[in-house]
Amino acid sequence: MPLDTSTTYPLTRLRLDGRRWNELRLLQAQISTNPASSGSSYLSMGNTAIMCSVHGPAEGRRGEATGAAGSAGAIVEVDVNIAGFAGVDRKRRAGGSDKYVQFSLRSISQSSRIATTLRSAFQSHLHAHLYPHSTISIHVSVLSSDGSLLAAAINACTLALVDAGIPMPGLLCGCTAGMSGSASTPRDPRHDELDPLLDMSAPEEQELPFLTVGTTTALPVGENNMDEEEEESKVAVLNMDSKLHCSYIETMLAVGMDGCGQIRELLEGVIKGTNRG
Amino acid sequence: MSNQRQASSASQTPHLSPAELSYLYTSLSLPRAPIRPDGRSPTQFRPLSAESNILPGTNGSARIGFADGTQAIVGVKAEVERTNLATDTLASQSDVNDSEEHQGSAAVSGHGSWVQMSIEIPGFRDDDALPVFLSEMMRESLVGSVTEGSGKADAADAAEMAGGLKGRLVINKRWHWRLYIDVLLLSQPLSYPLPLLSLTTHLALLSTKLPKLKSQGEEDPFFDDDWAVAEYLYPRISSQKTKLPSQYVRPPVTLLVISVGENVIFDPNREEIAVADAVLAISLTRDSEAGSLKLLSIRTIDPPSRLTQPAVPNSENVNMLGAPAPTEDIAVLNPVTGEEEVPGVWRPRRGGIKRSVIANMVQTVLKKGGVGEDVLEGLEGVEVE
Amino acid sequence: MNDRRRVNGPPGGTRPPVYASLLETGTGAGDRSQRQRQPAELRKICMHDDNLSAPAYQTNLWHFRTSVLKTGLIPSASGSSYLEFEPSASLTAARANPKSLIPPSSALKLACTVHGPKPLPRSAAFSPNLVLTTHVKYAPFAARKRKGHVRDSSERDLGVHLETALRGAIIAERWPKSGLDITITILEAEDDRWWGDAPDSHDASWGMMNVLAGCISAASAAIADAHIDCLDLVAGGVAALVSNDSTNSSSSAPRLMLDADPAEHRSIVSACVVAYMPARDEITELWLKGDSSKASLAAGDQRTGHEALIDGAVDAARGAYTVLAEAVRESLQRAFDQS
Repeated sequence: MPLDTSTTYPLTRLRLDGRRWNELRLLQAQISTNPASSGSSYLSMGNTAIMCSVHGPAEGRRGEATGAAGSAGAIVEVDVNIAGFAGVDRKRRAGGSDKYVQFSLRSISQSSRIATTLRSAFQSHLHAHLYPHSTISIHVSVLSSDGSLLAAAINACTLALVDAGIPMPGLLCGCTAGMSGSASTPRDPRHDELDPLLDMSAPEEQELPFLTVGTTTALPVGENNMDEEEEESKVAVLNMDSKLHCSYIETMLAVGMDGCGQIRELLEGVIKGTNRG
Repeated sequence: MSNQRQASSASQTPHLSPAELSYLYTSLSLPRAPIRPDGRSPTQFRPLSAESNILPGTNGSARIGFADGTQAIVGVKAEVERTNLATDTLASQSDVNDSEEHQGSAAVSGHGSWVQMSIEIPGFRDDDALPVFLSEMMRESLVGSVTEGSGKADAADAAEMAGGLKGRLVINKRWHWRLYIDVLLLSQPLSYPLPLLSLTTHLALLSTKLPKLKSQGEEDPFFDDDWAVAEYLYPRISSQKTKLPSQYVRPPVTLLVISVGENVIFDPNREEIAVADAVLAISLTRDSEAGSLKLLSIRTIDPPSRLTQPAVPNSENVNMLGAPAPTEDIAVLNPVTGEEEVPGVWRPRRGGIKRSVIANMVQTVLKKGGVGEDVLEGLEGVEVE
Repeated sequence: MNDRRRVNGPPGGTRPPVYASLLETGTGAGDRSQRQRQPAELRKICMHDDNLSAPAYQTNLWHFRTSVLKTGLIPSASGSSYLEFEPSASLTAARANPKSLIPPSSALKLACTVHGPKPLPRSAAFSPNLVLTTHVKYAPFAARKRKGHVRDSSERDLGVHLETALRGAIIAERWPKSGLDITITILEAEDDRWWGDAPDSHDASWGMMNVLAGCISAASAAIADAHIDCLDLVAGGVAALVSNDSTNSSSSAPRLMLDADPAEHRSIVSACVVAYMPARDEITELWLKGDSSKASLAAGDQRTGHEALIDGAVDAARGAYTVLAEAVRESLQRAFDQS
């Protein structure tokens, strides 16, 4: 019997790594890890580990930043690099032979996809209009990848941008959510077999449908209106590329947004803890 | 942009004015007592923080950060691969003894292409000149560090590390390990990144473990699942006989050495390297037999001082025309470069290095109690695990 | 999906089969050619006169016939040169009297072109000096194993070495805001090892060092041909520590050989390339690799192994310099005649 979440979960109600459906993996984060950059962070969610550094806002290069587009506000540049040793098997090949192209295509397309998503998410999220004619460049290095790569990258970037002191309306936090089965038939509300799963790991991402959601709070949330937070949160990133019956989406989205809320609290703790120290 | 990238010379030259370059050069070339901008002694390295075994997904990994914020992370991954008996020259139809003999010699020695190295530097593509040059330089000393002939002197001892790193990668005649060393520089290099990358790679290789082999002889290999019994790629205690830690086989390190005037200076920062007369990368390792240091390779690196802007002495300055030429503005022969120079007026370096200068630089690295030993001892002090 | 309609060739390249019996010493056909030169004797690189019409060259240079360093072959380039190393004498003999179909060794043949000095492209940043770019490319058929059309890491590495060697010699500040492109095509490269040795016997690319030395000399001649100011001609030279004996490796320590051909020696322990400017007695590029600590030098020689290697390479470079100077004289003569 193959040991994977879709077979073990209905029996034990435990996922492959022993979590329940609504549990996040251990999230550890640190900011100001690299003194050479304006802001930097290290974030690990389970076995996914990401380092992120931010340079800027700095004077942009000639061309785009100084042109008409630059006058509206800072331009966000994102560069994602998935290290060769990040996955289980080493993906990329050194040297410029023909093999190299084949091997690297997958990892490069994955990293450029993440980069595009991050760029558009943070371009609209940050108060970029405060820095016309300048560039904010974000460099993300994936040291170890075990699922929820995009979500972890969003969180790491948020931390690094906070460390760099770039103003934003609220923390942009990402999380993944999936279903515990292939979910190809319409959902039966009376006989609900499938549970939504929070924070997917790499083996789960491979076998189960999942989506990545990133939410933000529109306004800084004070102590007094804590209970209104749920209504205030806005979806900033939503990304799904697996097949699933549409009746499940709502559940997954709700679980994912709940996870984002949990992560937001954790990240706030990291930021406040660093300030205190 | 592409031209600048092409320029492989020691990283980007800082934008220093000729006057600044001249000042730096003068203070660094003071006879026997150079004054470095950060107050270090000529042989002193910049402070750094190091840790190893930081990534659970790799066979070995390390991170080193310099105080100026440049960080490098190295991950080593090993994969089992079938040894391609590329010996289409070797016939299968000849008698068995003969072919086995040939295969044996090939399989024991290992192959340099089993070690792959890639360096990623932000702002450079990985086929740009600088990353390629750096990785070839470090790979060359890694696979080249063969302890030849030692197998006979002390068979049991040398068997573990016969053929250096290459030999260690051999599992049996048909299978071998392939080692991928990925070097990640986390920010744009502030100085020539060679010392940082080399030290990090050294630490990562020291912490590299390979799973314990359970199969024997020529069987298809299978390994012990227990990571706790995995063996170090560079064995910690090679046998009971060698008790001195200095006699362990260690990965090589590559040091960056510059000469300014008559001085030899180690671990130059970006400003210092910009005025260097000569830049050498010297790879060395411990000689397990003699207990001393062994030279593995030397490469010259294009000194960026050749690309700097020259200054104009007052006597040739059009703006100063008519003003009385100051008396000190007289060209003197620089004994080191052999060219006429006006003191305090910067000229880009030209020409090459004298052989005596090279010998002096190598000597400073290799001599007993010299910088090479210091560095290796310092690295051995970093607690692995 | 296999193509079943045609009889296809094998997907990879093929090489003629070599039977192990041939490899045993004593059977003759597959014997490694041993070096017959003295340790300090260089292979000849000389002037070639076949295609030259001017009678002056024929009289002057008649006595050099064996191989080539020739300038000004490519009229569209501002400077060019062609260099050919003669294969070792023993190998020439083996070639003349073949016992095996496989040629015993390859020689070195390379062409170098220099374009420039020319203005930098508009997008480039200001440079107070001549910006030098070097490209070294093996022709696909240059080595026994086919090379791809994309430059691989060893070719890029060679380019960096060459750039370092030349930049020290060129007086770059005389051409601000200009660029100089040097392109070298290697038509035939030296082997890294004798073809009969198992491919894994030693895999360090020793042949590459000979190639680099050739590149340096050829590029220097081409730069002179393009009339670009240099401090001196840069000549490339190689020296190596080789151990020849096959049976008992412990009995003799490696000996110093100038201009070693990897195909002639069982194993090369260490080798060194220098780019050397004789007039200034300076080295602009040094590349030494391998374990040079066990060299056996003449009695009373106090030098360490690497110093002896560097000195040996410098001596080899001096040898190449004489040929280089002759080639440059020829180039000047031609320019003089044309004007």
